[in-house]
Amino acid sequence: MDERRRAFEARVIPHLDAAYRFARWLSHSSVDADDILQEAILRAFRGFDALRGSDARAWLLTIVRNCHLTALEQQRRRAFVPLPEEHDAQDGRAMVADTPDPESTSIRRDEERTLGRLMSALPEEQREILMLREIEELEYREIAAVVNVPIGTVMSRLARARAALKARWLKETGGEPHAVR
Amino acid sequence: MPCAESLRVQAHFDGELDAIGAAEVERHCETCAECRELWRDWEQLRVALRQDSTHATTPPALRARILRALDAEGAVRGSHALPGSHRDTSGLADWRSRPFWKGAFSAFGVTAIAASLAFFVLAPPISNALLNDLVSAHVRSLMPDHLIEVVSTDRHTVKPWFAGHADVSPVVADFEQQGYRLVGGRADYLDHQRAAVVVYQHGSHVINVFSWAATDAGWPKNTTRNGYHLSFWRAGNMVYCAVSDTGWDELDGLVRLLQALGTRDNTG
Repeated sequence: MDERRRAFEARVIPHLDAAYRFARWLSHSSVDADDILQEAILRAFRGFDALRGSDARAWLLTIVRNCHLTALEQQRRRAFVPLPEEHDAQDGRAMVADTPDPESTSIRRDEERTLGRLMSALPEEQREILMLREIEELEYREIAAVVNVPIGTVMSRLARARAALKARWLKETGGEPHAVR
Repeated sequence: MPCAESLRVQAHFDGELDAIGAAEVERHCETCAECRELWRDWEQLRVALRQDSTHATTPPALRARILRALDAEGAVRGSHALPGSHRDTSGLADWRSRPFWKGAFSAFGVTAIAASLAFFVLAPPISNALLNDLVSAHVRSLMPDHLIEVVSTDRHTVKPWFAGHADVSPVVADFEQQGYRLVGGRADYLDHQRAAVVVYQHGSHVINVFSWAATDAGWPKNTTRNGYHLSFWRAGNMVYCAVSDTGWDELDGLVRLLQALGTRDNTG
């Protein structure tokens, strides 16, 4: 193993789990999350020289988010390809696999929990910031770099996300104030 | 209408304030019931979220797959590294320590082969990724609210803005008389750096001019992807790329204006 690879394993690979969680939150699908994560790690390795003194975790999460956006863009473009006409609605349904892999089942289980489900109903721009703050415990400055918005936007989105979650929560728990579950 | 201090209270909650700011916020909370309630909500939410999140870790199979992919990537880099880079010397040393290669080629020959392999093997995927990134960034910029972060037709506003938001400081000018109106700027993540993007409008078309610090890898040739033209050039230590769905002639018009300006900036 060469020196560069060793340095990469020492500085970047410790953040693999954070990158994995972030990819899952972003993509909502374990299969996509796996591909996004692998692509992100490869891109990070190719661009490792650019990391220098900056924070490796925020840097890696930025790359994960970028890979997610690229994947999204590709999916959107593919979605424009029309199905052949003889495929009626029923055939269309049959094309969707109905035996989910164990991992996507576990994601679904996460989402069945109240909070997880409420959180996944948030707009993506709020969800990713709340996730980076509360789960990965990033500072505002780091979140701003990952999401590529000014710090003021981070603060206002965070406030909106928290307010929205609370409102949904109250609705879910029948208006009982401060009820957690 | 939330309390005007609520964002500052939130900043304290997130540990973002210094001691003085924190003391001010705490004094405010003593008299503001609304902010006290917000604080309690956030605390409950935090506890619940941290309990609820499964703290998922990367499955071992995925981790192994990724490390294998890194091995493959490292092998490509090691054997076909660009000549002159520090990686080349280690790659060369590995090769020459193998008996078969000993004396079979001069150092020059090995370097030449490595260089040509690097050109054919390395260049296409790297520039492909860059081209994809550029087109994606351009398309993304056309979605609502993604185009511009600093809105201004004044280059004296746009250029300083980049100082805090991007790793490079590109040439910025308004060419309204020539038909290219400066509408603003944006920072984008590109080629592993914070690239600066200057946004121009030409008729109904948006032209994004990306710029980032040049690397040894050079820059791609002008090309067309998914209907978008990409025109590359280098000025000083930066690479520029103009992306748009205008015709080549219209795009070239802006490129020539910017190139002329870049030359002036460098000499003057």
